[in-house]
Amino acid sequence: MIRRSPNTYSIIAVAMRVAIALAIAGCSETGRPMTTLAPKSDLAQWIQSLYIDVTVLDAIMFAIVVAAFILAVFVFSSRVGEAAPASTASSDLGLEIAWTLGPALVLLMISVPTIRTIFRSQPAVAPKDALIIKVFAHQWWWEFDYPDGAKASNELHIPVNRPIRLLLESPDVIHSFWVPQLGGKRDVVPGQINELTFVATVPGTYPGQCAEFCGLSHANMRFRTFVDSQDEFAKWDKAQLAGPVATPASDSLASDGAKVFADSPCTTCHMIQGISKGYIGPDLTHFGSRTTLAAGVLQNTPENVAKWIEDPQNVKPGANMPPLLLPGPQLNALVAYLESLK
Amino acid sequence: MAAQPKLLPVHQPSYLEGGGIVGWLTTIDHKRVAMMYLASALFFMAFGGLEAMAIRVQLWTPDNHALSAATYNAFFTMHGTTMIFLVVMPLLLGFFGNFMIPLQIGARDVAFPRLNALSFWLALVAGILLHLGWIRGGLPDAGWFGYANLTERYFTPGLAIDWWVVGLLVSGTSTVLTGLNFLTTIITMRAPGMTYMRMPMFMWSMLVTSILILIAFPALTIGLIFLLFDRFFDTHFYIASAGATPILWQHLFWLFGHPEVYIMALPAFGIISEVVPTFSRKPLFGYPMMAYSICLIAFLSYGVWGHHMFATGMGPVADSAFAITSMLIAIPTGVKVFSWIATVWGGSLRMTTAFYFALGMILEFTIGGLSGIMHASAPIDLQQTDSYFVVAHFHYVLFGGVMFAILSAFYYWWPKISGRMLGERIGKWHFWLTVVGFNLTFFPMHFLGMWGMPRRTYTYGADMGWTHLNQLETIGAFILGIAFLLFYINIFKSLISGERAPADPWDGRSLEWSTPSPPPAYNFATIPQIRGRDAWWILKYGRAGSRGVAAYMAGRPPSQPLPSEPASVEHIHMPAPSIFPLVLSLGVGMMGLGLIIDWYRIVIMGVAVVVLSVIGMGFEYPNFGEESHDPEHAPSSGGIDVRKIGVWSFIGSECVFFASLISTFIVYKSRSVTGPGPEILNIPLTSFSTFILLMSSLLMVLALAATQRGDTRWERIWLGGTVAFGLIFLCGQVYEFTSFYREGMGLTTNLFSQSFFVLVGFHGAHVAIGVLWLSVLLVAAMTGKLGKSRAMSIELAGLYWHFVDIVWIIIFTLVYLMQAVPGA
Repeated sequence: MIRRSPNTYSIIAVAMRVAIALAIAGCSETGRPMTTLAPKSDLAQWIQSLYIDVTVLDAIMFAIVVAAFILAVFVFSSRVGEAAPASTASSDLGLEIAWTLGPALVLLMISVPTIRTIFRSQPAVAPKDALIIKVFAHQWWWEFDYPDGAKASNELHIPVNRPIRLLLESPDVIHSFWVPQLGGKRDVVPGQINELTFVATVPGTYPGQCAEFCGLSHANMRFRTFVDSQDEFAKWDKAQLAGPVATPASDSLASDGAKVFADSPCTTCHMIQGISKGYIGPDLTHFGSRTTLAAGVLQNTPENVAKWIEDPQNVKPGANMPPLLLPGPQLNALVAYLESLK
Repeated sequence: MAAQPKLLPVHQPSYLEGGGIVGWLTTIDHKRVAMMYLASALFFMAFGGLEAMAIRVQLWTPDNHALSAATYNAFFTMHGTTMIFLVVMPLLLGFFGNFMIPLQIGARDVAFPRLNALSFWLALVAGILLHLGWIRGGLPDAGWFGYANLTERYFTPGLAIDWWVVGLLVSGTSTVLTGLNFLTTIITMRAPGMTYMRMPMFMWSMLVTSILILIAFPALTIGLIFLLFDRFFDTHFYIASAGATPILWQHLFWLFGHPEVYIMALPAFGIISEVVPTFSRKPLFGYPMMAYSICLIAFLSYGVWGHHMFATGMGPVADSAFAITSMLIAIPTGVKVFSWIATVWGGSLRMTTAFYFALGMILEFTIGGLSGIMHASAPIDLQQTDSYFVVAHFHYVLFGGVMFAILSAFYYWWPKISGRMLGERIGKWHFWLTVVGFNLTFFPMHFLGMWGMPRRTYTYGADMGWTHLNQLETIGAFILGIAFLLFYINIFKSLISGERAPADPWDGRSLEWSTPSPPPAYNFATIPQIRGRDAWWILKYGRAGSRGVAAYMAGRPPSQPLPSEPASVEHIHMPAPSIFPLVLSLGVGMMGLGLIIDWYRIVIMGVAVVVLSVIGMGFEYPNFGEESHDPEHAPSSGGIDVRKIGVWSFIGSECVFFASLISTFIVYKSRSVTGPGPEILNIPLTSFSTFILLMSSLLMVLALAATQRGDTRWERIWLGGTVAFGLIFLCGQVYEFTSFYREGMGLTTNLFSQSFFVLVGFHGAHVAIGVLWLSVLLVAAMTGKLGKSRAMSIELAGLYWHFVDIVWIIIFTLVYLMQAVPGA
């Protein structure tokens, strides 16, 4: 038997971890924007390392079970009619103690980092200079309120490398906030305010989705998170605080659209600063600056906006928005106006 | 095949023969009841399976429109609800449990045969109620764990959730009755010599599962009753704007829901522990550890419900506690897996389909168990919960573990049950297609979950990278569908033209193999004497070390003479059939139906049918209050009357019922937004009625003592006094409730009022039932039908009455007296 130094073992352990991490990352990183295996925040990173540890231990335990299984079924047993069985033992105290204590030790190895991570990831108070954002989950869209008064719908912008504290509230049913690359999910429960705290470490765009079944269009309750550099975030924030970028020039298609909007039932539910005061649906003041619409279901293109306004139920069954039944030219004008709201 | 002892060559009529349609509708034979469970489970399994296939078709491509969002949501809800409540539990408990419990412990039937038939008919009514949405109001569509407050009428109007609530309430009642019946049966009706440590492991699993049912289902019942009140009577148990929290539902549901996982898994463990030793031709390895681990799993399962709720924000302390208890379950579960493998180790294996499925279960279940460890680690769970990773996990447990065990049990026990063999060739095809289809369907779900696909989404975007694995899974689902088709074909072929099964086709180890295949209605001509574990094997071969064992080792037929001549069977009196279980269940169905479609005449008719059935059943007992209906079991193996164990089991279950109500009251009493609070309670009045109720308990004791010494005069007086005091208490309660209404506190006023009225009201209902029960006894006493020999009837009513009084003391302390203490 070869004696290995403890060093060799730790090298093997590290090598296995690296191999598994590479294997996992290799088949998941590209083309899977909702992967849980490409952490882009401290929270997601903690979960990831715990995850890899447990996966390794699970794999070892599975290998032991499979090895014992194969030996029992194919090696250390006979088939009926063959020579007498090799063993009729029906108990063995040593073995039984071993397979009670063995798993117990493994679980101890898992539980210590588990509990450390649980406490680390749920700080009771917000970290210093954290950006505290209120998240309202509605059936079926997301609303984000910033402390300086800025509002956003279905597209959350946050600065990189700054602690973020989300305060999650629901005015209707239970939802769950989940951006896999930024960490685990947290339910949004009516009547209580849940918190999610993390620091995003890599700029980028990360899709998220409601993860608790919340009714008919649960599948269509998506959103995007933009992790911006500090400067970009400041710029975006400033733009949000201001009204619409510019009022459309008269005689333009967009200015016709502005009239259509002002006379339409849209104003009951949607706000455009200075024009309407509705609050039931998303704020449209900066609609044109968003990349998606209908809670992340469609790309924000004029065709898609028209499609959405014509028949919201087709895109998002159960949505509260009624079909507007506008004639073609008016619809086009309205779309042009909305797209101009940068 | 080696060693096939020929048994009981004299022809005995099988339980399947005779009676016609009416015979089946009125049967209370545990084996016929089991067959009816089988028929209904196979029927609903086809529904649940087709729903799953439709789900997989919809997920074939991104942005698919094969199913509408509404249909998809209904299908995944009904798939889960159907498979758990109408397929897996009925198969494990109703079918295998019912059939095998009396046969394995050496009894002629279960403890309460009519109750058993009632359980079945209620289960069938529940299944029908759950599916009536096809006809009116739509199928339930809020997921199998129907999270409040989505299930409130404001968010889900219509009848769909109503069907679900009422269907599950009926189903839960049926299951609790089954648990009570099985627990009593196993405790009291074991054949002489069958100690607990000699029982087959399947009996251990049934014993512990029954206990779990009794303590887990009341939590679900309470959750559903709150929801029912919210939907029908405008209370606000789950409505945040009234101060309530929808999380209450999750606590109640998972307090039931996690033990429920083991209510399904433990019988599966029991089955594997029967099949593996039989086909390895070795005793089960580590029998005591296997029994203890079942108990430990059940115990721990009651303290882990929070791991379903890590994402709800319970806080780091609760998260850590639930993480640790959840991990602990892995230890006894690991013991089971290793012990099965050690049983195979060194065995002389007979590779039948039943054994294939058992071996398959060991590996597939291990995968599910290991991914379960990941969920126990709360931070990991936050990434995995409500994603397809969880869907993969619980299908590895419930299909790879439980369904594989069920299929193994089919191939194992079907010859005994039907008298015909299942096809082994088609069986092997069935096995391999199941393995391939199952793993192809569910293994990729681990990856989809890791790649962020949330469960319960009817559609997904093409840019998520989920398409290919979804298509692989759909292919797998169709292979699995073909496998199940083969299974159904195998069953029907066996019924029509299957090879006749000998009594003991597998050289079995437990008592059921000592009976003919199929067994006669009375199971055993003579109740066997049990000399050790693996009772039948010892009867065949003798104890270890004897000549028979040497023959067994060499694969020769046993040399020991076998009991081949049945004793005379004329002395065996089986309980008479009854139509009332069926009629009563129809009445319950009418009550549910009428409530939902808002036609109260049907409700009233249903109530009348139920009441009349109960009365009818009462008159069916020709010997009212006899010690036991089966003289061979009086007194039982425990020396205690069967009915007493039944009442104690019921009381155990009621404890959880009231504990759930009381905890809800304590949580909600000071969360009201408006309206009166605890200060409205009238302490002096209630102190008086509490005193009266306590005194009634004293009178009850005196009544029993009088009966036991044969003093009929004082028996009537004390019994009458108990009834009168009970009535005074009820009058006090009516007065209290009406005065609250006059003061403006109604059921729906606020959280305090609704949790008060529901708690105290349910207790009042229990008192009322007790008063009715005692009144019936009083009438019997007045007409001279009670006496010293029937003291047990009074003792049973007394047990219940004392329990109801003790609950009142707790309610009086926590609800009334605590309010008198400032700051409490």
